[in-house]
Amino acid sequence: MAVAAAHVGGIADHIHPEPQGFIRKYIFSLDHKIIGIQYLVTGFVFFVLAGLLAEIIRVQLMHANGGFVSADTYNEVYSIHGSAMVWLVVIPLLTGGFGNLVMPIMIGARDVAFPWLNMLSFWIFPISGLMLFSSFLMGAPVAGWTEYPPMSLQAQGFGTSMWALAIFLVGVSSTLTGMNFLVTMLKMRAPGMTFTRMPLFVWGQLATAPLLMVATTALAAALAALFMERVFGVPFYDPTKGGSPILWQHMFWFYSHPAVYIMILPGFGIISEVLSTFSRKPPFGYRMIAFSSMAIALFGFMVWAHHMFVAGIAPFLQLPFMVLTYAIAVPTGVKIFSWIATLWGGSLRLTTAMLFAIGFLILFTLGGISGVFLAAIPFDMHTNGTYFVVAHFHYVLVGGSLMSIFAGMYYWFPKMAGRLLNEALGKLHFWLFTLGFNGTFLPMHWLGFMGMPRRVATYDPQFQFWNQFESISSFVMTLGILIFFANVLWSIKYGKKSGPNPWGGRTLEWMIASPPPYYNFKHIPKVFARPYDYSQPLPYKGLEEELTTAKPEPVPAGAH
Amino acid sequence: MAVASLAQAGAEFAPHGEVDQLYAETRDLRLLGFLMFLVSDVVLFSSFIFAYLYLRNSGQGWPPPGIGRPDVALAALNSAVLFGSGATMHYALENWKHGKFTRYAAFMIATIILGILFLSGQAVEYTKLYFQEHVSWAGSGIFGASFFTLTGMHGFHVFVGVWYLIVLLLQSVHGVYSKDKYFGLTAGTLYWHFVDVIWVVLFSIFYLI
Repeated sequence: MAVAAAHVGGIADHIHPEPQGFIRKYIFSLDHKIIGIQYLVTGFVFFVLAGLLAEIIRVQLMHANGGFVSADTYNEVYSIHGSAMVWLVVIPLLTGGFGNLVMPIMIGARDVAFPWLNMLSFWIFPISGLMLFSSFLMGAPVAGWTEYPPMSLQAQGFGTSMWALAIFLVGVSSTLTGMNFLVTMLKMRAPGMTFTRMPLFVWGQLATAPLLMVATTALAAALAALFMERVFGVPFYDPTKGGSPILWQHMFWFYSHPAVYIMILPGFGIISEVLSTFSRKPPFGYRMIAFSSMAIALFGFMVWAHHMFVAGIAPFLQLPFMVLTYAIAVPTGVKIFSWIATLWGGSLRLTTAMLFAIGFLILFTLGGISGVFLAAIPFDMHTNGTYFVVAHFHYVLVGGSLMSIFAGMYYWFPKMAGRLLNEALGKLHFWLFTLGFNGTFLPMHWLGFMGMPRRVATYDPQFQFWNQFESISSFVMTLGILIFFANVLWSIKYGKKSGPNPWGGRTLEWMIASPPPYYNFKHIPKVFARPYDYSQPLPYKGLEEELTTAKPEPVPAGAH
Repeated sequence: MAVASLAQAGAEFAPHGEVDQLYAETRDLRLLGFLMFLVSDVVLFSSFIFAYLYLRNSGQGWPPPGIGRPDVALAALNSAVLFGSGATMHYALENWKHGKFTRYAAFMIATIILGILFLSGQAVEYTKLYFQEHVSWAGSGIFGASFFTLTGMHGFHVFVGVWYLIVLLLQSVHGVYSKDKYFGLTAGTLYWHFVDVIWVVLFSIFYLI
């Protein structure tokens, strides 16, 4: 592949020689596609570890008196479970993983703006993950993934400080990725790829990148202060030395509320692509889906104190935060209705990716509705710290983010591997996972109403029936996930060959071979319209060489 | 650094005449990327400034009982030194653009010296606080924590900046930059002005209010 195609057009149209040798090609790769796969593999490894921790929680809660692990260990387990799922699984998979894998191709670029920085971002990520899990060896954090002081200050051992270091580092990785992606999307789009012609997945990344850049840096400050206080005794949060525990909550949620949107906006993008492709209809309200992502990203910075209604903040501050939180439901609702309208009258193909996308629509909407409940101050005061909150954020994070991750895996796996994931196993995965998920988390709503507190190793015996029901359901969910991994491992080698465009997609990544060549495009394409007008000829020029071998027209329904 | 390799690759593989265009495009990317870095650095400072103002307004009056107000005169002198270095940095870049290398080098050296002077002034201030007034980072409550963390972070940025400028000066002596291709110098100037602006805010919130 060592060709130097000397076209006028500068770096954007310049092909590098492909690196040779295993290490430069697959380990310290500069290729955004390889880095994306590295993120996906690493993220799923951490997903297995954090999932095991979740199962420890569920086994412990099989009986009202617990007994599987000690109460202290239980605190460590749910703290690391939450931290790992947020920072090592969902965020890296959706941004570093899928973002790297397809975003540059979708805008018609050969790579991200700063490939070296991209490689650095990736390599920080597994290191910080190992640091986070290593905190088990030195007294892991016990104050939950939010690590509120003063409890996080009183925790013994170096574990909580190690937690702060690890999250700081993975935050650096996120920040660098955000900068890199933002520059890429602003500066490296192919000729004719105007903002309103970008695929909606790219819009999702465009809304996420500034959040990664700005919010994560604020978290870095909070973590640095926590680390300094724990290690050097510099008072920021300790009330006995004049510090304020509420300060941590402000700084933490100023990051962590936008982080909620970091964890869902790229997923919104995946869902938009999948629903459009498998309905063979342009996304209904393209502009509204795109702009509502930006609105959500903007509002996301103005609502953090709704996590703090019971922390004792001034009442005159509470009301605007409640109203602004309600306001976020508007752009989110715009999206939900646009997606439903996309399905309306489409010629649906219920592939596994599509099943996950439709599952996302239902489950995320449920999680969103309980979120609107929680935004109401009186309701929040009643349910704060109960399982109702646990139910809410698992519906948005598992029913939302994780469902979109699975949809993305089934949708783009052929692009990575050149082979399809097995659809029969995929459907089994979907049904076991979805049923198990609802069995696990739906009862938590009423357990929360009945007053079952979260983060406690034992509970009142009256809750035991539903807890056992949840634990058994969680085993079903885990079985579904095991089938997914088996499917991936099997399909890499034995899956059906996919060809370049198995789904009849119209975005640029489907115009090139699977897996794509190192340089993505022989010639940078010119773009004339949005990709989604299925009845029209393809809106690209300059892809003639690719398209002669890669016929873009869809395989008929049922050919999978 | 990423794009430096791109520009090199361009020089190796692209025909003559394309290199300039390659340079222009990599410079655009690098400039935007560098601005993004500065934005996230602004957020880092802003978060600590928020923490400081929050703690300052959490009761007990400011400065907290038992701690005197910081020395405005010394800090004002120090500020003048830093703002002066911003001016010399500006003239250094302007002279480079006009091809006046000697004057450029003189202004660069002046900037570096002023930067070192600022750091020395800060060292004097820290020493006085620690030995005469017994104010320390970890032992003086939220005053010590916020004051030393924020001014220390800023001082660290100046320290890094001084080394950055020294490297840039050596690079320009060795011919890394030309009259039209001097992105490193632009980035260095931006960084130095950024450090200046942060100091305006820190000076106001610690010494003036």
